[in-house]
This record gives sequence, structure tokens and C-alpha cells, in this order.
Amino acid sequence: MNAQVQANTGEPIVSAPIFVRGEVIEGSDIVHKSRDLGVTFSTANVPFDKAIPPRTEVPPLLNVPTSEIIDFLVETGQRLVAPDNAFVHECFDRMASTHILPREVIENVGKHAVSYLDRRILEAELRENFPDPRALDGWIPKQDFTGRKSFVRAYGPRLIHVLPGNSPGVAIKSIAQGALVKAVNLFKMSSADPFYTVAILRTMAAIDPEHPIVKSMSAVYWRGGEAAVENVLYRPQYFDKIVAWGGGDAINNVIKYLGPGFQLVSFDPKTSISMIGREALESEERMEEVASRAAADLMMLNQEACAASRFQFVEGPQELVDRFCAKFQRYIAERAAASGDIRPLAMDLKEQVETLMMLDDEFATWGRADGKGLVIRSEEPVDFHPINKIGNVVRVDRLDDAVKYVNVATQSIGFYPSERMADYRDALGAGGAQRVCPLGEVGPSTYGNPWDGMYPLHRFVHWMVNEDGIDPR
Amino acid sequence: MGAAADKLMSKVAAEDRFDYSAAEVRDLQVQALNERFQERRNAIKLLKMRAEEAGIEEITSLDDMVGLLFPHTAYKSYPESFLMDERWDRLTKWLGTISPHPIEGVDLEGIKDVDDWIDRLAAKGYFISCSSGTTGKSAMLIASQKDMDWSKIDTVNVFAWGSGVKPARDRMMVGCAPVATVPKNKTISEAQVAAFSNPEWPRWDYPVPPITVGSLTKMVVMRKKMAEGSARPDEIAEFEQTSGERQKILDDAIVSTAEAIIANRDKKLMVAGLWSGLYAVAKAVRDRGYSAKDFDPDNCIYVGGGLKRAQLPADYQQFVHETFNIPEGRHFQNYSMQELNSGMPKCREGGRYHVPPWIVPMILNQDGDALLPVDINGGKVEGRAAFYDLSLDGRWGGIITGDKIELDYSPCQCGNKGPSITDNIARYADLQGDDKIGCAGTIDAYVRGMS
Repeated sequence: MNAQVQANTGEPIVSAPIFVRGEVIEGSDIVHKSRDLGVTFSTANVPFDKAIPPRTEVPPLLNVPTSEIIDFLVETGQRLVAPDNAFVHECFDRMASTHILPREVIENVGKHAVSYLDRRILEAELRENFPDPRALDGWIPKQDFTGRKSFVRAYGPRLIHVLPGNSPGVAIKSIAQGALVKAVNLFKMSSADPFYTVAILRTMAAIDPEHPIVKSMSAVYWRGGEAAVENVLYRPQYFDKIVAWGGGDAINNVIKYLGPGFQLVSFDPKTSISMIGREALESEERMEEVASRAAADLMMLNQEACAASRFQFVEGPQELVDRFCAKFQRYIAERAAASGDIRPLAMDLKEQVETLMMLDDEFATWGRADGKGLVIRSEEPVDFHPINKIGNVVRVDRLDDAVKYVNVATQSIGFYPSERMADYRDALGAGGAQRVCPLGEVGPSTYGNPWDGMYPLHRFVHWMVNEDGIDPR
Repeated sequence: MGAAADKLMSKVAAEDRFDYSAAEVRDLQVQALNERFQERRNAIKLLKMRAEEAGIEEITSLDDMVGLLFPHTAYKSYPESFLMDERWDRLTKWLGTISPHPIEGVDLEGIKDVDDWIDRLAAKGYFISCSSGTTGKSAMLIASQKDMDWSKIDTVNVFAWGSGVKPARDRMMVGCAPVATVPKNKTISEAQVAAFSNPEWPRWDYPVPPITVGSLTKMVVMRKKMAEGSARPDEIAEFEQTSGERQKILDDAIVSTAEAIIANRDKKLMVAGLWSGLYAVAKAVRDRGYSAKDFDPDNCIYVGGGLKRAQLPADYQQFVHETFNIPEGRHFQNYSMQELNSGMPKCREGGRYHVPPWIVPMILNQDGDALLPVDINGGKVEGRAAFYDLSLDGRWGGIITGDKIELDYSPCQCGNKGPSITDNIARYADLQGDDKIGCAGTIDAYVRGMS
């Protein structure tokens, strides 16, 4: 759709249009090198006035019933998976050139993410997030024990979403959730994926360019940390909350701007682990099955996802644990081969893994440091972050010994056998864990459930009250 | 030792050492690389592994070397728990995987701490230098007595060439930075005192307790405990207090050093330090009403290292030079790193860093896995810097750095024909610090107050 232009260096520049409340804007004001593949894309500057409606305007979605919003989201979902959706096709072409994962993986993830736009799911979100979801559609009358009356409204907030670069699915979820709470939304896209959010919004605009949802959404790009942009946008006069993914520099940078009226809703960076009880090692068949489940959890989004397992605490003697490791590595390698993802390990990671191989009397390894599936067995977690299809099996005498490694960054704990989850969940919660699930099922979660220790939609809205005096009776 | 390498290294003190064009010495360099490879391939475990993986039997061109270069992170590949849990036998074994000389005869009984371990190794001729990393692991670089002897000569040569200062023992040396007590830094400092310092004027040592590997390790351990959540609130409070006291000592050192400089302003000075410390001292000197007019017009300055991410005003160099009355022709900059054994001084005429013939520069792609094509007869190439330093004896000389540099094979304005590096060196880590946001991450993102 867009001609490719050449950068000074001779490499092609991919155009990344932005979307501002229904309008698609192409431009080459910003030329940016994407972080992982070194691909360069160009995009337009943020048109501030257009992207930030003044507070004198009521949010476009305020008086659109949630049922109608859900209808529109469901229709969007159908259009997103329609074979003739040019926006999505073009987007996957472009993403394939900037994303670290292969095209097929991204496409599957994108398609899977669309399944969120299901009426039952969206209704479950509203039902679980709000004690009375009708507060989104109107002013709910209240009366307390003294007879004092009032109305309460879950008022549509003004949100900036700082989207992550590693999961295309977050774009869909963020758009849907922003629509459900009737927010005025500004999405800051990441340099790893400056395309998918816009493709979704263009699909929406193709359904009805004047729809209040379309008029409530903008997706733009700027280089994270760019003071010239963030100094303008990050103000309570324009936005109520910043919904940010990630940690470290990304969050530290946002924190500078927080203050009265401008709050942070953070989806923190997370690590996931597996806890595997001695029952898994009881027979050869059982070991195979459990190893296969553990590999499924590890290979989630080819170990790029926060729910993907990094460390597997296995209860049992070394000899049995080592047999498990061999099987585990085989299952990881099979999944890796099937995914077509063949990235070499980062240099420093490879170095550290090879060192462990040379110090072989304390560590054991299965597979090679080649990004095709590797398992390291040790007595305590290795001090690097296992990524790119690496499992670190930590042998423990009792699963209790694994609990101390759970912390506030622990998102999911895949557990085997399921029957023992109840014995551990209190201790895991004390450590800071977010969820525990049966091993091999780290992907699915019950619709409408809390995320990152909160009910996000409930956090997003601006609760407003209209007091109405005392009932004379 | 190989004949080709010896021939190249024999230029260490030659006046014309930067005047050999790459084309002139390339064949000799490739021979020397092969000599080193054949000497070391079975001696260094990590090298052996790399060679087998790459299927390299012989070095016939620089391309053959690429797979055999160690990333700078190789020297911090030890499992951190060895250090935390004070498992000296394991750490020593790890050293054995990167050392060409078998590590033998080191007494590992009753070692008190990491500084003690390093002392015991030094007693047997294994010199460990550590890079300072407070947030991450320290790199541990092993070197031999030969390396120390080489550093001693090279550092004086590099400074004399780059600054035009003759080693005439006629200056008062003033240290403006806390010194890390690693063998290499000690050696360099001693050699400079011997060459430039007037024996009657003792060197002014920056009055702060030396930074030892042990003190750095304490910070690393603390950070790790904070991350794990095993650090108790009282421990953190105590740590904060110690940091506060240390900061006070650092602040006082700036003042007393500035006062020492003012008291000795009649002498010809050689001020030494990192830019951040030099700037702080210069500012204190100015605050007391002294500046260029009060100092000897032949003063000189020795700057080690880059900015290390210190935040300084844009004109910090000019400010420092003007404060101490360092004339234009006495400015000095050197490009090197702990991982190398030799320096690459900047010339004053062309402003480029010059590579001596015993260092073979290689410019790789960003990933560091392929040599970028370049015409060594006058061409220019930009990319990830890698070097083979033939002068290294105590470890493998091939290193891939984290720096992005531009290497120029055309003769420099200063008249030298050897390869040189443009004065726009950047770190890839700084260049990539953009919006790297994902939902996946580690507990490190939750640690506050130690970066």
C-alpha cells in the first residue's frame, strides 16, 4: 500500500501510519530503528491537538450503551479474521519485518487474541469487574443506612496506554477494555510493533468511520522517554491515568510525570515458573506427559510471554530429575522446530550457558546453546534470565524449598500435580505470586478474572458521585 | 611466543609505531593471530570450544577470527552464586576455563573474602582485575606478570605520545579519582609516578578509602538480597547509612584535593582522574577563586575512561582544561578498556585514536558475528569494535566490545598511516536505550535505589 523509501544508509524504511480518532495519517517526521531486528520505520509526529480532545467535551462513548459497544467489538473481531481484511494482511507483512518472532507465530497470536472479542467474554469482564455494571451506562441510585441518597457513575476516563512490544494480543485487549469503560484513549505503540493497533482501529473505522468508538481512539508512536512529547501529554488536564506495561526504565520514566490527578495503572513485568512434585517422576509414562506439559508452558509465545515458564522446580533425586530433563528438552526442541523460530542466543547468554557446560560437575545440560531448545539442571536458579527456549530445572528435595524463589515478579506458577495446589497457594500468595494453575495450562484463564492483582476495568474508570440529599421518610 | 607477534610487539617504543599502514602489516598480523591461536587453542577451554564449534583449525584471514573472539561479557560468565557463597574453589576453577596458564599452587584454605582470594592469586602470578559494576556482576580479567610488565611500558608511551609530555620526572601528580585497587591500575599508577613525578613531591592521592573488589561485591550482594526480598529492613537502613557516610567522604575529598592543588599551584602539575572527578575538583578550585591564570602553563592531564554515564555540562572538558591551565597541545585522551592490555592514544593534530600494529582492529556487524567489508587501503567502516591485542599473555587477546566505532584506514592529519578511530565512540547499550517494553521481565525491575 505504501511505497518504501530508502534511508540514507540504503536500507528500506517501512511506513507506519498513525490513527487519530478516525483519521489515518502517514508521515516521515520520525525515523526509528526497531529494537530487535534493526529495521527502520517512519511515522508522523503526534498531532497533539487532534489526539487530545479538550475536557470541555463529554467522552464520545459516555452515553453509548455497553451492549452496543459490545456489538461493535464483536463485529470488529469478525472483520479482523476475515480473509479479505487488507489492513491486517498489510500489517502482518510489516510486522514480520520488525518483530523478533516469525510471521506465523505472530499471525497465530493475533488470531488467538481476536477470540477475546467474544460477547460472552466481554460480558464476563463487565460482570466480574463491577459490582453493578449498569454504573457504566447510567447514574446508579444509592441510599445508605442514614437515608442519604446519591447517584454513582463509573465515568469514562481519559487514558494513555503504553503498549508493550512483545505481545500483539495486548493491543486488542487494550482497545476492547478502553471501549468497555468508555474511555478517551491514546495508545502509545512500541517500536517493536508500531502496526497492529492501527490495523485494528482502521478495521473499526471501515465498519463505521463516525462510530463513537472510532472517535475515542488514537494510536501514535514516539520514542519512549522523549521529553518533548511526554512533557506535553502526561498532564492531568489531558489524561486521568496512564496504563503502562513493563518495568525498569520504561516505568521509571513514566513515574516522573505522576502527580495529583495523573495516576499510574501498571502491568508489571513478570516471570513465570513451574513447580513439579515427585509424583511426576513415578513412571516413565508419567514423566513423558509431565515433561510435555512443562514444555508447553515454557514455549508460550516461544518463551517471549510473561506467562512462559523460565524455572522449573522439580522435586526428586538427581538421577530421576535428570531423566526428566532429557525428555523436557526433547519436547522443547520439538516445539521450537515446529515454530520455525531460529534465533541464535544473545552473545552474553550463550557465554554464560557455555560456562555452565564447562563447569559440568555441578550443572548438567541437555541440548546446545543454539536457540533450538536447551535445559540446564542446577541446585539453585541460574543467575541469568532463561529466554529463547531455555529451561532451568532446579532440583529440590521438597517443593517447599521452591517457595522462597517466588516473589512479587512471579506471575504464573504451573503446578503438578493439581491436587497439591491447595497446599501451596497461601504460601505462594505471601511471596507475591499472581496466579497458580495446573501445569500445561498457563495460557488459558477464567474469563473476567483479575489480572496483575487487580480488576483492571474497575481501576480504569473515574468514579463520580452525585449526592441527592436525605430521604424525608 | 610466535615470531610474527614478537616482531609486531617489538614496536612498543618505536617513534613510528602508528605509521604502519594496515596493508603493510596485515600479512604479519594474520600470521601472528595464527601463532596465538595455535599456542592457545588447547590451553584455553573456552577457546577450544569456540574453535571446535566454528570448525577453525588455522587462521588465514581476519574472517577466521570472528568466531574466536570473546564477547566482553565472557569475563563475567561465572555463576554469581560462587562469589556470593564464597566458593573460592569453584571461582578458581572458572578462572581456569579462560586462563591459558593452568592455575596451580594457589592456597585456597581459610580465605577471608574476595580481596583475600585475589591476593592469594596475585602471590602466584595470576593478577585479577575487576571492572566496577554496582548493579550487575563484575568482570574478572586474569592477567600475567608479562601483562603487568607490558602495561608499565605501554602506559607511559601512550601518555607521552598523546600529550607530548616527556617523562622527565618534573611534575607533581594529583589524583582526582578514587583508585580501584586492582593490579593493573596499581601498575599503571606506579609506572606513571616513576616516569613523570618529581621524586621530591609525593603524589597526592585522592583521600578516599580505596575501592576494593570486596567493597564492590558487597554492593552486588546487597542488590541481590534486595531483589530476592531476603534483605531485612534493618539491613537496608544500615546500608543506606553507610552509603551516606561514604558520600560524605567523597564530598570532602573533592574539597581537600582542590585545596591541595591550590597550595601547590606554583608547581608543574599532572592531574589525573575520570572526567566526573576532574570536573568536580575543577569546580571546587574555581569556587575558591582560582583558575588558569594561577597555574603553570605547562600543566598536563591524564584522563582514564569515558564518562561512565556521569551527567556533566556540555563544556566539561573545556572547563577542566581552562581551570588547570592545560594548553591546547597537552590535552590527552586514550581509547582503551580493561579487557585490552594496550592503549590507543588520540593525536592532537587529527583528533583520532591511533591503533598500534600489535592491536588488530576488526569492525563487526552489530550482532558481532561477521566482519564488515572494508578496503584497508584508505577505506572507512563503522560498526561494533573488536580487537585482538597481541600483547596479552595471561588471557585470550580477542575481544568483542560493546562500543560502536568508526575505523579509518586513511592517513591521519597527524601524518600517521596506521588505522585510527574517529572521535565519536558510542556504546550500543546507550544507543538502544529506547522503549523496550514487554510484559515479561524479572525482579530486577523492582529494585529501587541501587543503580
